Amino acid sequence: MTTTPTIDSVPTTDAAAAPEDARVRNSDGAPARSDGAPDPAKPGRPAGKFLLSKVFRAVKVAVWRSAAIVLFLLAWELVPQFLLGEDTRVFLPPLHDVLLALRDAITTGELWEHLSASLTRSVAGFSIAVTAGITLGLALSWYRGLASFLTPLLELFRNTAALALLPVFVLLLGIGETSKITIVAYASFFPVLLNTIAGATTVDPLLIRAARSLGLSQLRLFQKVILPSAVPTIFTGIRMGGTASILVLIAAEMVGAKAGLGFQIVNAQSSFLIPQMYAGILTVSLLGLAVNVGLVRLEAHFSRWRTFAPTR
Amino acid sequence: MTPVSTQQHQGNPPTPRISLRAVTKDFQVRPAKDTPSGRVLRALEDITLDVAAGELLTLVGPSGSGKTTLLDILGGLSEPTTGEVLVDGRPVSGPGLDRGIVFQQYALFPWRTALANVAFGLEGPQFRRQGLGKEERLERAREYLALVGLGGFEERYPHELSGGMKQRVAIARSLAHEPGILLMDEPFAALDAQTREQLQDELLRIWSATGTTAVFITHGIEEAVYLGQRVAVLSSRPGRLKAIVDIDLGDRTIGAERDLRSTPEFVAYRHRLWELLHGEVASAQRAGHQKIQPDGTERAA
Repeated sequence: MTTTPTIDSVPTTDAAAAPEDARVRNSDGAPARSDGAPDPAKPGRPAGKFLLSKVFRAVKVAVWRSAAIVLFLLAWELVPQFLLGEDTRVFLPPLHDVLLALRDAITTGELWEHLSASLTRSVAGFSIAVTAGITLGLALSWYRGLASFLTPLLELFRNTAALALLPVFVLLLGIGETSKITIVAYASFFPVLLNTIAGATTVDPLLIRAARSLGLSQLRLFQKVILPSAVPTIFTGIRMGGTASILVLIAAEMVGAKAGLGFQIVNAQSSFLIPQMYAGILTVSLLGLAVNVGLVRLEAHFSRWRTFAPTR
Repeated sequence: MTPVSTQQHQGNPPTPRISLRAVTKDFQVRPAKDTPSGRVLRALEDITLDVAAGELLTLVGPSGSGKTTLLDILGGLSEPTTGEVLVDGRPVSGPGLDRGIVFQQYALFPWRTALANVAFGLEGPQFRRQGLGKEERLERAREYLALVGLGGFEERYPHELSGGMKQRVAIARSLAHEPGILLMDEPFAALDAQTREQLQDELLRIWSATGTTAVFITHGIEEAVYLGQRVAVLSSRPGRLKAIVDIDLGDRTIGAERDLRSTPEFVAYRHRLWELLHGEVASAQRAGHQKIQPDGTERAA
């Protein structure tokens, strides 16, 4: 095989041929040139092709991943219009009716009123839960005796559905804000607490040995090794608590409230404002989604040293 | 069979940097099915050993000979059952910044960058009292990272570093607070052969540059001969000091240039240690050794 004469030596030998053709012939078998590394004569093409295929792949992924939602929304729009009878359609109005109702609720400020009521409650309850959960969790991981004393009780409470206690909270704290904030705090407290304990008690013993060999006192060991090592697990608890806080709050607002998304949904239903009811449900979905996405981001941010992938 | 230490015959030697006096360590093994009441396991028996200032002593022994236990005792992470450990003539009461430990599994803090890991030991109140501010801390950490050849890797997290690089960071961390004594527990055992040899030479360079007293634990005979000025040989469990072999191979910091490992002297030392260890390794295997965890549980070695 005569592979030696390459691009540079071509033009004189095959004067009539264009450089491109000459190269093919000279290399004694065209495929040999096209199988390997990017063609040096045309540096732009492979990169452009690569970019194009990357964009194409991204679009494909985006389409695939949103397909189910798009289909669902389409079905919501079309099924009531074409498949349901008049009387059923009242209870399941097509999507555009719901969106119109949502727009009205936004323009009249009604949506914001309910959303802010719900947000205030969940933020208040959630903050209490996070503060109390982390504090108590750290205390229990520090005082092991206290932990073994309290754990059975905490297990009992944790396995009592939060909503089952709503009547108790209403009886004790009234129907106002306090009972709702309390039940939100109660529901999101346990994930935070249990994850804090788990995080602070499952520190790599080798790290503790290393820190002790560097002369750290117990307190500084806690501050410099146990706490930072527990942060990702604690944030997992915070995320779970955040999700729980929204779920429980809506249910609590449905039972007894004068404002809030849960109240709005039930109120719209009993007033036979069906599109408005769906608008409320849609808002709840979007709120829950937003909270979850935000908390997942936060968790990922604080856990980034845990990812063992070469890229951050 | 009596361990002979060179200094003990030199009339009136200076106070040794580290001095082990009849150190014995027993472990209470946690109750198991076959031993409901738990039993006592003797890890170390009657170890008496001096390490001179600036010396690099290597310690070899079969698995289960109590090497790590001995290092823990030297580091102050655990106490001998009987006997005592003196550093500069004073009994050791716990871990201290006069001794730095390098662990086999690196033990880096994964949430800290390489630089912050090295600076970790400098954050204590004793350094703040010395007026070591954040800037000075990081400056000194940078110097030590450069000393171990990792200048430019300051902002990397441990998971972004190779095994050899992690161990360099760990060495820098143990040196940054200028401990005077460096205790190393099979620090290169988890590395590939090439990285290991490279780090052995680095260690010799750092050791001679800093004048640190070092105790280096290994199960590799070759490593022990290559690094040690003296090699202490432990017997199989319970670990007793079987022999101390003086290694005289000249200036070992230039070992990399002249392939020290294939010189006849090196081979002779290697063979002598092999003979000392051979029977011990066999008896350790017969006994089916288990590693005792610091909390008293056993694990297959």
